[in-house]
Amino acid sequence: MKRLVLTAIALAALAVAAPASAQDKPLAGTSITVLMPSPQSPNIASEFEAATGIKVDLQTLSWDDIRPKLVAALIAGTAPADVTEFDWSWTGQFSAADWYLPLNDAIDADTVKDIVGSTIFTVNGNLLGVPYTNDFRVMLINKKHFADAGVTDTPKTLDELVAAAKKIKEAGIVEYPIGLPLSPTEGASTSWYLLTKAFGGELFDADFNPQFTSPDSAGYKAMAFEMQLLKDGLVDPASTGLRDAQINDNMFAKGLTSIMISGEPGRLGQMNDPAQSQVAGDVEAILVPTVSGKTRSYGLLEALAVPRASQNQEAAIAFVKWFTSKEFQIENYGNGVLPTRTSALAELNQQGKLQSGDVLVEESKYVEALFPQGTPTWYPEFSTAVNTAINSAAKGQMTVDEAVASIAAAVEQAKAQ
Amino acid sequence: MTVAVAPRATIGGRTALPGDAVLGMLMVAPIVITMAALVIIPLGQTVWDSLHRINPMQAGTPFIGLANYSRMFADADVGHAWTNTLIYVGIAVTIETVVGILAAALINQVKVGRQWLLAAVILPWALPGVVNSVIWLWIYQPGAGLLNGILTAFGLPFDNHVWFNDRTSALIAVVVVHIWRMMPLTIVIVLAAMQSIPGHLYEAAHIDGATRPQMFFSITLPLIRSAIAVAMTNSIVAGFNIFDEAWVLAGASLETRPILVQIYLETFQNLRFSYGMALSLLLTAVSLGVSLIFVLRLYRTTRFE
Repeated sequence: MKRLVLTAIALAALAVAAPASAQDKPLAGTSITVLMPSPQSPNIASEFEAATGIKVDLQTLSWDDIRPKLVAALIAGTAPADVTEFDWSWTGQFSAADWYLPLNDAIDADTVKDIVGSTIFTVNGNLLGVPYTNDFRVMLINKKHFADAGVTDTPKTLDELVAAAKKIKEAGIVEYPIGLPLSPTEGASTSWYLLTKAFGGELFDADFNPQFTSPDSAGYKAMAFEMQLLKDGLVDPASTGLRDAQINDNMFAKGLTSIMISGEPGRLGQMNDPAQSQVAGDVEAILVPTVSGKTRSYGLLEALAVPRASQNQEAAIAFVKWFTSKEFQIENYGNGVLPTRTSALAELNQQGKLQSGDVLVEESKYVEALFPQGTPTWYPEFSTAVNTAINSAAKGQMTVDEAVASIAAAVEQAKAQ
Repeated sequence: MTVAVAPRATIGGRTALPGDAVLGMLMVAPIVITMAALVIIPLGQTVWDSLHRINPMQAGTPFIGLANYSRMFADADVGHAWTNTLIYVGIAVTIETVVGILAAALINQVKVGRQWLLAAVILPWALPGVVNSVIWLWIYQPGAGLLNGILTAFGLPFDNHVWFNDRTSALIAVVVVHIWRMMPLTIVIVLAAMQSIPGHLYEAAHIDGATRPQMFFSITLPLIRSAIAVAMTNSIVAGFNIFDEAWVLAGASLETRPILVQIYLETFQNLRFSYGMALSLLLTAVSLGVSLIFVLRLYRTTRFE
């Protein structure tokens, strides 16, 4: 009899619990696909499923390979995945094509307020993506290499940076101290944008007229600076064929370079993790050195977005919310993803977990938009013109004059369409 | 020659098709429908679309006539890409044909284990283009690459040499990988033709005192003309369609960018779909035009032999 009563109580408890569980996880059993750049934490799918009951097929590709996959599917009217990467640089094109679902109703005002970079992904009042990685530019240095070469002061100007690199090279610590992407990939473009700001200029005026063709312009000087670094033997000539990920992961993390010109704050955790880096404990961020000595930077945030063609929009939005929640952002910092939520950043810094926290907080005050006028629809064409011109100049196939002229011509051609 | 025409049957006063004609039409119908659905209609649609502006970032698809076609002649990047492509085609077709024939002649002499040799030769062709290209990317690597290692071992100054920093060596590096992948097909086609040449022709030539080179030029080459034409047609089409090798080895680099990479960038990066279609149609026309020379020659050769 006692056993019967106990069984009845257990069944009753289950009957009560089951609807409660269904209420907690209304989308349990749904499956979604997510397409993001590699690498991502291997625990994402299991943690999200535990939290929501939604199964995730997480697909990762290198950043440069994601866009073609997205476009091929979206132009055909299908969803490449239920949740996809959405880079700041695609905002102009993708909003004009109307491929993504506005998330205004799904994302609450507090979240938008907490994630300041949301404005970059808002076009005509439509929030097209929720930023998940707070990517702005700092420079990463190997402080042990600096110390071994006798460089004690942190470089604040570009001249000081070059002088430090030369000292490291002369001391025989590494052959090529500066890691600078020069291949025809996005990394070469973003480095040039940063150096253009470091030389005190902008790429375009308010009407998108190129501001980099004159020899006394910042963009021209930035490209000439890159070529000089190469000529001086401070940058590996093989960089013409290496993606930025290879330069960062294969060279900086192995101690083959001392300075990552276009450093991502999120990489600090990865670079100081002994499991992922041979220079763990030696890496720190410094403020971007400039000609004037007053640092400058710009934001390259990446967001998660839901294609209109997704068949599982509700579950997809649940994933976006979960992935950009404060709790997960704090956890995901361990995987090299810097939180986009101000509250998450503050908590990490308070806990002393934010590596080079003071530098990151200081640099974040100087983060500007690369295109304050809004990302143009022809940005991808412009970026390809930039990185192929830099690549050709680095290989000696073009002069700096020819390179900047070819970029300007590409801009005019793109604007004329 | 007398041709007998079967009388048409009449049904209810109407002329009916003879049974053989109906059967014939039924038999060709599957290929006609397939070709129409997969080739002719999409091709026609592509031609029509190329005369419109199709860009997902711009509303509507207005008719723009030949604007896409006239634009490509003023596009410097398209000019570069065509130049690179023609260089690839010229080098690839020449080397694949000459070396392919010589390799086939050599393999034809092998009596023992020919099947194993053939299997080894055909392996690069059987592998996907991207896999071949990645293997060669490692070979060309500046630091630990096999090529630099071998050259350095011979005392040559190629330590850390970057093959893709010079346009000439970069073009050669790309086309070598393409030749590596496509030459096995030429070898197989030519070898099959060589093996069909009756042995008594060589015996007769030998009795007449012909040397091996004389036999090759007077017997072998004339009898494998058709096979060479087929192989060259294939080489030309493959040469114009070079993509994997250039993309994996050098990305969008201007110095090595073939026309197919340019089409890819215009279509999937710049989202100018109808311009990409116009470029694709021109590529198809040029590729077909050059191939047609060999196909017509093949047709004449086989018809009168």
